[in-house]
Amino acid sequence: METIDLFSLRTHFNRNRILLCFNGPISRSLIEEIGNALKNYLQAENAQPTAAMDVFSIYIEMTQNIRHYAQSRGYGDLESAATVIVARDAEERYLVQAGNIVEAADGEALLARVDALASMDKAQLKATYKTQLRQPRDAAATTGAGLGLIDVARKSSLPLKGNLSPIDEERAFFSLCAFI
Amino acid sequence: MNDLNIASSQSTPGIESDTNAGILRMHGDSYPENSFEFFDPIIQWIEDYLRLRSEALHLELRLVYMNTSSVKAMMDIFDMLEDAHGRGRAVSVAWYYDPRNERVLDLADEFREDCSFPFDIAAAPQ
Repeated sequence: METIDLFSLRTHFNRNRILLCFNGPISRSLIEEIGNALKNYLQAENAQPTAAMDVFSIYIEMTQNIRHYAQSRGYGDLESAATVIVARDAEERYLVQAGNIVEAADGEALLARVDALASMDKAQLKATYKTQLRQPRDAAATTGAGLGLIDVARKSSLPLKGNLSPIDEERAFFSLCAFI
Repeated sequence: MNDLNIASSQSTPGIESDTNAGILRMHGDSYPENSFEFFDPIIQWIEDYLRLRSEALHLELRLVYMNTSSVKAMMDIFDMLEDAHGRGRAVSVAWYYDPRNERVLDLADEFREDCSFPFDIAAAPQ
């Protein structure tokens, strides 16, 4: 039996300055627990309270979006998995990156939405956010208000980066990266 | 009408109401997965208070982090207060924040932009 080379994995994490990572089915309580760990790491790193809150907030919106999407699509545990990373980059920014499996068509639409948001300045993002906030709530949707992605774009200090990797003809892996 | 007394949890704020004093207090973080479910009884209490009572209503807030679905629910609450204010009811909000974290000030300030009733935002060292 072949074992996983944990040391090379660790080296990879360290080289990429990954503070926290998660890969697997994600539950409501897991989001909270990982969020708690994230808060503690940021505090231990002496992050500015505003930066710490932005990182935490982006993490929450991204993971809750993934949960809501998986629920809306009726995905099982395996498909509801999320891949989440919080890291530092060379400019000492925090990177929050999260990805999940999506229907290929949804992925294309999402990517177009991310690109549209990435092209807006802060004033345009605020106006888009306020417009979305005023949209009547969809009676069938018990959860999101469609604000999460805009909120993430507003908090990111650089334009959001979205990516779509095809898995097969029907599905793809969508990932999103924000910067603090 | 019954008063609310909801203990805070990791992802939901603590809520206390005092019907006789006309005060509703909310404090802590708010990022439940289903915010509408969480905020439902609070919205109900405010509706009842505004319908059954004629005295003033004051919201005392020490909310810190809110996810976007909590923000949406909170906006529904401020819209109710705005309507009541338009009908001549005395309503007011005071939002206290830790001055070390200006994000809370930004959040409260953005809500206040859409409200014409008295809405104070004050730094309160923790």
